[in-house]
Amino acid sequence: MNVQCELCPKMCLIKPGQSGECRVRINIDGVLRTVVYGYPCSIHIDHIEKKPLFHFLPGSLIFSIATVGCNLHCKNCQNWEISQANPEDENIPAYFCPPERLVALTRRNNCPSLAYTYTEPIVYYEYTYDTAKLARSAGIRNVLVTAGYVNEQPWKELLKHVDAANIDLKGITDDFYRRVCSGTLKPVQNALILAKASGILVEVTNLIIPTLNDKPEQIRELARWIKVNLGGETPLHFSGFYPRYKMRNLPPTSLKILEMARKIAITEGLDYVYIGNLRSEEGQNTYCPACKALLIDRSGFTILKNRLKDGCCPDCGKEIYGVWK
Amino acid sequence: MTRRKFIRKLIKAGSAIAVGASWLISKATPRKFIWAARVKKYPGPLKPLRDISKQGKWSG
Repeated sequence: MNVQCELCPKMCLIKPGQSGECRVRINIDGVLRTVVYGYPCSIHIDHIEKKPLFHFLPGSLIFSIATVGCNLHCKNCQNWEISQANPEDENIPAYFCPPERLVALTRRNNCPSLAYTYTEPIVYYEYTYDTAKLARSAGIRNVLVTAGYVNEQPWKELLKHVDAANIDLKGITDDFYRRVCSGTLKPVQNALILAKASGILVEVTNLIIPTLNDKPEQIRELARWIKVNLGGETPLHFSGFYPRYKMRNLPPTSLKILEMARKIAITEGLDYVYIGNLRSEEGQNTYCPACKALLIDRSGFTILKNRLKDGCCPDCGKEIYGVWK
Repeated sequence: MTRRKFIRKLIKAGSAIAVGASWLISKATPRKFIWAARVKKYPGPLKPLRDISKQGKWSG
């Protein structure tokens, strides 16, 4: 008997013995099963700025995990070795780490938060959900780094146990999502709106790929959409592309393009716009949107100076969007 | 048109509307998300829990 997976907009109808597009949700004897529950292939401790999250516990360490699999197949994927791998792959072994063990490890390593990242936390949904619930009861915050390609009902359920998310908005046209990512735009926009409305901290990442989504009008449209639907206080990270996976024919994004994108987004009314994957003097710092004072001085993933006082600008007193302690 | 023919047409049209409406209702009703069950054994190779305190080489 076929089963339909209703987790993401792909709505895969899975034949017995087959998996969905994500490769990790399979039909065994007519029952939908997740093969990666409790089996992450990557466990690391990162700086939270690496996610990137710039407005959530700056300077803290974050316990980070991923299993194999993804429901999108972006031609430019930076982590394709694990996101596009099968659980059976001999060269991608997994750890055995059920939620209880993961939470214990996070505590043992003095990490205040736990990130579901690197690949796509939506495809290991049940593992993410159970771990997040347990982590929160242990006083650990939960962070999702996701493409947001998920159906409304499971997304709303998961958001109840999440504290912050960095969600990719990979492009602003449906055509871009279809051609580059094998997805569609609307569900991602819906996931972003729902996440922001749920009250969690939301930051957005847009990877700029030369010739595909680097036109000033595309960047302006993306910034406008964020301003109107998520609010001008939502931090936006413009990230630089490197030729990887199935997109090795394009050059890396230049700093000039990223700086142009940042300027456009600020002009469109976004308060916090950052540049990632390339060193940029101004593009990695947080400035007060009211008095323009430097609030957080960063160098790479390192915080050089944090002038915030109780989440406010010390000079003009403006409250800065974020979770600061 | 005879009365019999008219009634037949009416029944046909009514049943077509009923089928269409039930299809629309079934599409419009929110589907209940079903959780995937766990498997007893991971299908791939496993590794011991070591070297986890390093920064990840992966993006994100």
